[in-house]
Amino acid sequence: MDYFAGVSDALRLTFVQVMIMASLSIGIFIIGMYINLKKWGMGSTGYGQQPSGSILAFPTMLAKQMSEHAHVHNQSVLETFVLDILFQRRILRRSPLRWFMHFTIFFGWMALFVLSLAMFAVEMVHLISERLGVHALPEFLYPEVFRELLAVPNDIFSYILLTGIIIAIYRRLFVAKVRESTIAYDSVLLIGLTVITITGFIADGIRTGRFWGFDMPVEWAPPMALFHVVISLLFCIAYIPFSKYIHMIAIPLALLANKGGE
Amino acid sequence: MAKRKPSVNTENLTAVQLMELDSCSRCGECVNWCPTYDAAGQDPGLAPRDKILRWREFMNKSYGLRARLFGPKEIPEEDIEKFKDDVYKCTTCGMCATVCESAINTVELWESMRANLVKRGNGPFGKQGAFLKLIGQYKNPYMEDNKNRVNWFPKDVKVEDKAEILYFGGCTAELKQRKLALATARLLNKLGIKFTMLGEDEICCGSALIRTGQYFINDTAKVNAQKNIDNIKAKGAKTVLYACAGCYRASLIDWPRLTGQKLPFKVVHITQFLQELIEKGDIKWEKSIDKKVTYHDPCHLGRHVGVFEPPRAVLKAIPGIELVEMDRIEENQRCCGAGGGVKAGVPDLALGVASTRVEDALATKADLLSSACPFCKRNLSDGRDAIGAKQLEVEDVVVLAAQAMGIDLSDSPE
Ligand code: SF4
Ligand code: SF4
Repeated sequence: MDYFAGVSDALRLTFVQVMIMASLSIGIFIIGMYINLKKWGMGSTGYGQQPSGSILAFPTMLAKQMSEHAHVHNQSVLETFVLDILFQRRILRRSPLRWFMHFTIFFGWMALFVLSLAMFAVEMVHLISERLGVHALPEFLYPEVFRELLAVPNDIFSYILLTGIIIAIYRRLFVAKVRESTIAYDSVLLIGLTVITITGFIADGIRTGRFWGFDMPVEWAPPMALFHVVISLLFCIAYIPFSKYIHMIAIPLALLANKGGE
Repeated sequence: MAKRKPSVNTENLTAVQLMELDSCSRCGECVNWCPTYDAAGQDPGLAPRDKILRWREFMNKSYGLRARLFGPKEIPEEDIEKFKDDVYKCTTCGMCATVCESAINTVELWESMRANLVKRGNGPFGKQGAFLKLIGQYKNPYMEDNKNRVNWFPKDVKVEDKAEILYFGGCTAELKQRKLALATARLLNKLGIKFTMLGEDEICCGSALIRTGQYFINDTAKVNAQKNIDNIKAKGAKTVLYACAGCYRASLIDWPRLTGQKLPFKVVHITQFLQELIEKGDIKWEKSIDKKVTYHDPCHLGRHVGVFEPPRAVLKAIPGIELVEMDRIEENQRCCGAGGGVKAGVPDLALGVASTRVEDALATKADLLSSACPFCKRNLSDGRDAIGAKQLEVEDVVVLAAQAMGIDLSDSPE
C-alpha cells in the first residue's frame, strides 16, 4: 500500500509507516492528556472544597465556572470563542507585534494542519475507492489533482507561518528582556516549530525542484517527507501534553473558564 | 520500596486552577505590570509568571508523568518556604489577571495557593497570623471592643433601628478612619435617607482572612459572613451600602461563594448610590472645593468588580473640583500597596508601592489624591509621608462629597 499516491512511485512513502507513526502519536497524546486530566482532577470542583481526584473534576469545574455569572466581563461563549480564542484580542491589546507574531503562527499552522488533513482524507478516499473498484470519483478527488489544487494555499500558509516563526526567533535571540527570561520550556516549543517548518520547506523543495530544496537529489524527497511527517506528528500531537504545546489546549480552556478573563 | 509521598498537595486549588498553571504562555506581560515586583526591586521571585512556573513544577514533580512512573520527586522544604514568602508579597491587586494573555484568574490562584500553604503549615506571613485570633475574639482585626464601632457617633447622627437601607461601615472606617464613617452617616442624614447599621453586631467582612488564605480555618469567614447576612436581614435591609472597597468586594463576591447562597439584598457602593442621586438632581451642593483632584481606583472596587465610573461621576459633580487623571487608571491602575494582607504582613513593601502611587499622583500636579476606600487612603497617606510630599492632600471621595454638601466633619475623632 502506498501513501502520497499523487506522487510518482519513487516518491511514495509507505502508508503503513505513516499510519503506525500517526497511531503511536495519537496514543501518546491520549495517555498524556489522561495524565494531565488526572493531574488537573487533583483539584476540587468548587472554591474551598476538598480535592476531587476524579478524572471528571476538571470538566465539572469548567462547566460550573462557565455557567456562573462573572462580575466583570460576563461575555458569551461565542464571543470568547471568536474574539478571544480565534482572534486572540487579549494579545492584540497588550502588544500588536506579539499578536502579529502569534497570529501568523497560529493561523499558518492551523491552515496547514487542515490542508494536510484534507490531503490525507483524499488519499484515503482514493485508496478505499481503488480497493472497492470504484472509479467514478469527481476529478478533484484524485490525489494528484487535489495536490495541485492545494499547492498555492500550501505555499501561502507556509510563508505566513514562516513569518511568525522568524519574528519569534528574532525576539528570543535579540530582545534582551525576552532572551533573559527564556527557559528550556520556551525554547523547545520554538525549536520544534522551526524544525517542522524548515523540513516541510525542504521536502517540498526537493520534490518540486524549488530553491529551498537546495538541489538535493530527488530520491531524498521521500525520506525527507517522511522525516517531516514523523516529527510533525511527534511534536504536534504526541508531545502536546508534556510540553509548552499544552498551551494550545489549556489557553482556550482558561479563556472559556474565565469568560475571556478580566 | 515504598513510593515517596508528594511534597505538595492540591488542597484548596480547583481543577480549573490546576489547568491554568499549564495555560501560562510565559508572555511576561504580568511581569511588566506587577506593582510589588517593581517595588521589591524587580525581585524575580515575585514575578507572577515565575510563581506560576514554580507551582507548575511542584505539581509536575508530584503528579506529572515521571512522578506517575517512578514516584514523586521531593521538593526541598526551603523551596516551598521561599515560594510561600513570595506568594504573600502580593497585594491581590489583580493587575496580572487583567493583562494576562491567557486570561488566568491569577488573584484567585494566589489566594488558593495561600490557603493551600496555610493548610500545609507554611502560611500565612508575619503578623497576618494574628488575624484569625483577633477576628475570633474581637470580631475585628484591630483589637478594638466591637461596641466601639458606632458608639462614638456624635448625637446629631441619626441611625434607624430598622430600615430598607443599611450602611455596612467596615472595621477600618468604624474603628480607625472614622471621618469616612461619619461623613457617610451625615451625608445620608442630610439627604433624608433613612438607614440602619449593624453596630456591635457587625463582624469583619472576612476580606483579611480570605485574601490571606485563612478563610477555611474553623470556617470562620463563612460563619461570620452568614452572621452578617442574617443580621442584615433582621434589620429589614434590602440595599446595603459600602464605603470600603474591601468589604464591598467581600460581600459581593466572597459571601455568596462562602455561604453557597445568593445574597438577599443588593450590594451597592456609596459612590454608585451617590451617582444615581446626582443624576436625579437630588443632591444640593453648598460649597465649592476649589482643588485639582486626582482619583485612585481601589483594586477591590475597580478591577475586581468593574466600578470605575461612579466615583469619577461624584468628583466631577462636586463644584470647584477639577478632575485630573493619572497615567495608570481604571483597569490599568497601579495598586496602593495595602491589600492582600501586605500592609500587615510586609509593611515595607506596602509603603514602597504606595510611594510609587503617590508619585503617579504628584505627576498630575494635583492638590489632592482621592480614593473610595479607607484602606487605600491610609496607605496612600503613609506613602505620601514616606516621600515627604506634604503638599498633597489624601482624602476619600465620600468625605469630599460630604464637605461639598456643607457637612461639617471637624468633630470627627481622627
Ligand atoms: S495581584 Fe498584583 S501584586 Fe499580586 S502578583 Fe498580580 S500584579 Fe503582582
Ligand atoms: S500574563 Fe499570563 S500568560 Fe503571560 S506570563 Fe503572566 S501569567 Fe503567564
